[in-house]
Amino acid sequence: MSAVIETDALTKLYRGGAGIRDLTLTVDRGEVFGFLGPNGAGKTTTIRTLLDLLHPTSGNATIFGLDTRRCSREIRARVGNLPGDFAYEDRLTGEQLLRLFARLRGTNDLTGARSLAERFKADLNRPLRQLSRGNRQKIGIIQALFHNPELLILDEPTTGLDPLMQEEFLQLIAERREQGTTVFLSSHDLPEVERACDRVGIIRAGRLAAIESVDEMRARAYRKVTLKLREPADPAEFAAIEGVDSLERDGDEITFRALGPLDEVIAAVARHQVADLEITKPSLEELFLLYYDGTAGP
Amino acid sequence: MSATEASGRSRTGVLTAGPPSTWESFRAILASDLHFHRASPLIWGGSLGATCALVAAIWPSVADSIGRAMQGYPDSIKKAFGITTLSNVDQYVDAEMLSLIVPLAMAWFAVRVATRSIVWAEENHHLDSLLALPISRRVLVAGSLLATALLLAASLFLMWAMTLAAATAVDAHASAATLASGFANVWPISIAFAGFGVFLAGFLHRSASVVGIAGGTLVAMYVIDLVGKISPDLKPFRVLSAFRWYGSAVQDGFDWGHAMTLTAAGLLLAVVGAELFRRRDVL
Repeated sequence: MSAVIETDALTKLYRGGAGIRDLTLTVDRGEVFGFLGPNGAGKTTTIRTLLDLLHPTSGNATIFGLDTRRCSREIRARVGNLPGDFAYEDRLTGEQLLRLFARLRGTNDLTGARSLAERFKADLNRPLRQLSRGNRQKIGIIQALFHNPELLILDEPTTGLDPLMQEEFLQLIAERREQGTTVFLSSHDLPEVERACDRVGIIRAGRLAAIESVDEMRARAYRKVTLKLREPADPAEFAAIEGVDSLERDGDEITFRALGPLDEVIAAVARHQVADLEITKPSLEELFLLYYDGTAGP
Repeated sequence: MSATEASGRSRTGVLTAGPPSTWESFRAILASDLHFHRASPLIWGGSLGATCALVAAIWPSVADSIGRAMQGYPDSIKKAFGITTLSNVDQYVDAEMLSLIVPLAMAWFAVRVATRSIVWAEENHHLDSLLALPISRRVLVAGSLLATALLLAASLFLMWAMTLAAATAVDAHASAATLASGFANVWPISIAFAGFGVFLAGFLHRSASVVGIAGGTLVAMYVIDLVGKISPDLKPFRVLSAFRWYGSAVQDGFDWGHAMTLTAAGLLLAVVGAELFRRRDVL
């Protein structure tokens, strides 16, 4: 599988010191790559550096094998971008904006744009200043996707969209993935990333904390075990199992976290009469916190 | 492979690979800038044109008193303001409007229009959308500069037409050619300041800073030229002022050399500004 985006120790420092440092990642052709992090972590700086709006302090990046600085225009012809704060001349209607952007992409064909507008119920006839945040975001999504780009770079794409439109958007991303489009999606909405992405990069304070597939993250994640026994038991029996921590006892209820395979936990539980047993996976949000706590990482 | 596929376009015309030509991008930027500012000639040219027309219209009723007043003015003051004689409506419009108000206003207008698609757009996050499209920053600057030049020309033409119409209406015997050279003479100095604005936008990120510095420089240059005309000691400094090269086309005729110098200076500054803009971050 060939790489569409490759960064090598990509660093962009601002005068204040924030930015991104030594960012090395690869996004393969046809995959949906989630870029997770809280506000200010460096997600938007990374995207703006990839698009040559910011020039790297050191390191380099390539998209489609082309240097993002030297061949930026060639790259941007093949990319659809939705900025985090999509804005343009607000006197323009959606139709006028899309017509202008189409011309700047060297086409007059708005067939794809009209189809997307219908799908997202976007009003193309009103000036942008008369549109709500969500409706402006729809225009932003349409301008990013209407020309069927090979790579989509989307910064917080569902911001402002209502749940129905968020669902429609995720469906659209899934369709584009099926068609072979590569997607680089920045978000702090973990359920969204969980649904849309194949792999996830987690960025913290400008540094990449981890890159894993969503499945891998879940597989190596802890389970939260809540056990209610019919007779008293020594919690030490469970505490002694490798990978178990955070054990607590409250009457006849024992709770703990179990990392790794659950065979030993199940075997230990089976030695008792069980009134109730609940094993839950952590949400992606809880997983996210693990990386920020420093208890997980590459 | 078909011709359309070879050029990176599908049969429906949707771009699949490769940026549009520089010329296509340039035309699109130019057209969009002209569209955004389509009312500007009416607003700027119309309001200044109305003032110029008023000045022309009152000439017959003030001509005698102005003539007498001129005899009382010291020669140094007349020289400072570039008024050697004030004996016809063309010279009156020149003294009242073309010596200060029109060039200041149009140069200010030029700075605002030429830099709007750079720093103002940057401040308002428009460049994040625009520069994610396959256009170069140089083309963006070039398109804006040409749009500025055309809008300036349209505004000045409107001013000339309104002034001439008013003068004709009151039978003031204006010279269309003399007035035309007077208004046309505003174009090069405005282009010079448009270029200066683009130069500033090459390294500044805030619209207020660019417009403020350019506006301050504009006024300072006027003052330098004015004082230099009065004071022999300060006369050498006039060469630093764009107004030294502006002069008065109504009084002295249109100076092609000075007009070319100002236009060339504006273009040179814009080229440097575009290069600085290309090299800098868009914040």
